Amino acid sequence: MTTTQTLSRAELLKQLRTTHAESVKRAQELLKEQKKMQQELCAVFREKARTVPEAAESTGIPANKVLWFVAAMKKYGVVVEAGMCGDYPLYKKAEEEA
Amino acid sequence: MDNLHMDALVVGGGIAGMQSALDLADQGFQVALVEREASIGGRMITLSKVFPTLDCCSCITTPKMSAVTHHPNIHLFTYCEVQSVQEHGAGFDISILQKPRYVDVSKCTGCRDCEYECPITVPNPFDRNLGAYRAIRVPFSTAVPQKAVLDPEYCLWCGKCEQRCPVDAIDFSQQPETFNIEANSIIMATGFDLTPIETKKEYGGGKLHNVIDPLMMERFLAPTGPYGRVLRPGDGKEPGSIAYVQCAGSRDDTLGITYCSRVCCMYAIKQAMLLNGALPLADITIYYMDIRTFGKGYEQFYQNAKAMGVEFVRGKVANINEDADHNPIVKVEMTDTGEIVERTHDLVVLSQGIVPASRPTVSLPLGSDGFISVPSPDSAPCVTKRPGIFVTGTAASPMDIVDSIVSASAAAAEASAYIRENNGRLEVQKEALYV
Ligand SMILES: Cc1cc2nc3c(=O)[nH]c(=O)nc-3n(C[C@H](O)[C@H](O)[C@H](O)COP(=O)(O)OP(=O)(O)OC[C@H]3O[C@@H](n4cnc5c(N)ncnc54)[C@H](O)[C@@H]3O)c2cc1C
Ligand code: SF4
Ligand code: SF4
Repeated sequence: MTTTQTLSRAELLKQLRTTHAESVKRAQELLKEQKKMQQELCAVFREKARTVPEAAESTGIPANKVLWFVAAMKKYGVVVEAGMCGDYPLYKKAEEEA
Repeated sequence: MDNLHMDALVVGGGIAGMQSALDLADQGFQVALVEREASIGGRMITLSKVFPTLDCCSCITTPKMSAVTHHPNIHLFTYCEVQSVQEHGAGFDISILQKPRYVDVSKCTGCRDCEYECPITVPNPFDRNLGAYRAIRVPFSTAVPQKAVLDPEYCLWCGKCEQRCPVDAIDFSQQPETFNIEANSIIMATGFDLTPIETKKEYGGGKLHNVIDPLMMERFLAPTGPYGRVLRPGDGKEPGSIAYVQCAGSRDDTLGITYCSRVCCMYAIKQAMLLNGALPLADITIYYMDIRTFGKGYEQFYQNAKAMGVEFVRGKVANINEDADHNPIVKVEMTDTGEIVERTHDLVVLSQGIVPASRPTVSLPLGSDGFISVPSPDSAPCVTKRPGIFVTGTAASPMDIVDSIVSASAAAAEASAYIRENNGRLEVQKEALYV
């Protein structure tokens, strides 16, 4: 991509952010919340393998929300399953690349 | 885009719409298939296995989706909506809105690099919002077309996807576009929705995390489901006790849905059998008013479920509450004894009924049940009150996949006869008749 192209793309994106100001604001708030939750969950899953209720208790995030995040993080390779503890699957942080 | 001239327009790319399009296209007709979602496949591609054969749903649906895209006589328009339909002689002028994907489909290879790069995670309706994907994504692993789509509702317009895309396919300059199709006939195949869970306040009204809809359970049972196994959404527990509440939204005067939805008994039995395989130690109970197994092989399927140990309890579920651990408590009036019993389960599935999906701007009279009206259901079940417009699948009434396919072929046959009778413009390619 040339510099002029890059510039015009940047302008276009700026314009889109203005046109979609309301949804962008909502999305930014959502992203902020997601980053915070993901950070907290990553920290507890890095420590040791945990079930969803255990991670919920450690972070104070409701268990249904933890499960939703765990499903998302599993899909994108951030956490992996690590066996079962009673009726609950355990999750841990996926191996991090060196 | 110039006006396109087609023999038929099919609205809706579920199993019924795909089958109608294929039947007409095989006869040499030019068919436009318009689907509002970014992929064809409809509900069927989201299901796990089909009753009564327990064949893999994806294995049946994917080849049909592929046949549709590769057929030389089918012109597929995904992520499009019908805006208006005007009568034009014996045919129709249809205005179609192409929603922007913000992705150049001629360049996109479906590699999903953009999806991995996008920072924002959003609920995935393919998994009934229990799973996630990103603001830009390929809709699901077997989507047709296998192309990315960006959701402007969640996009931050940060440009990361654009920088990541190896083939420069992201196009932020795309705008909604309208184009016209002239078609000699229309087939409505817009499908169904579930009766809204919110209307069943006595069953939690959608607020209890461990009371779910049956399409969620289909996703849990599918190999590509959100958790990769059956877990309850409230806290990720593998359920040891699962209950089905039949007629949750059908045969219900209070909701104005007085009809039987035809598929709920069979899908509940199917899911019970699949759960029996996935969770061999789990207790599975089906609370029912009466079991309706009308199709070929269906009664045997029901008997097999009983033999496998699924418990069928005849009773009317009055309400569902939950205990402190969010376990659903089902209050049921036993039909035979009149006794009122409370039972606690780990997970409850509401066998919600079938209602018509929202329809495009084709003004067609509706029946008292809300489905597109068919004046002679006994002799011409696909013929609507508007000459040249036909209806198929669950847009016409609740039905299963087998009946949807039969109905789709019937609608195609009606459309074919109509086109032949009413138009001189029938350069049917003879070779195509013999492929
Ligand atoms: C939980 C559950 C399990 C089931 N299991 C089975 C089973 O095992 N076996 C079986 O035989 N049947 C089963 N069924 C029934 C089966 O799902 C239906 O028979 C079948 O999917 C109907 O297909 P259809 O094409 O009519 O509708 P749909 O699959 O709903 O397709 C309609 C298509 O039209 C599109 N559309 C809607 N409105 C518009 C519009 N305005 N413009 C453009 N496109 C539009 C939709 O996006 C969709 O792609 C089950 C149903 C449920 C609820
Ligand atoms: S838009 Fe680009 S990065 Fe995204 S799937 Fe298509 S080719 Fe891959
Ligand atoms: S521009 Fe939108 S879709 Fe692309 S990466 Fe950013 S948020 Fe995701």
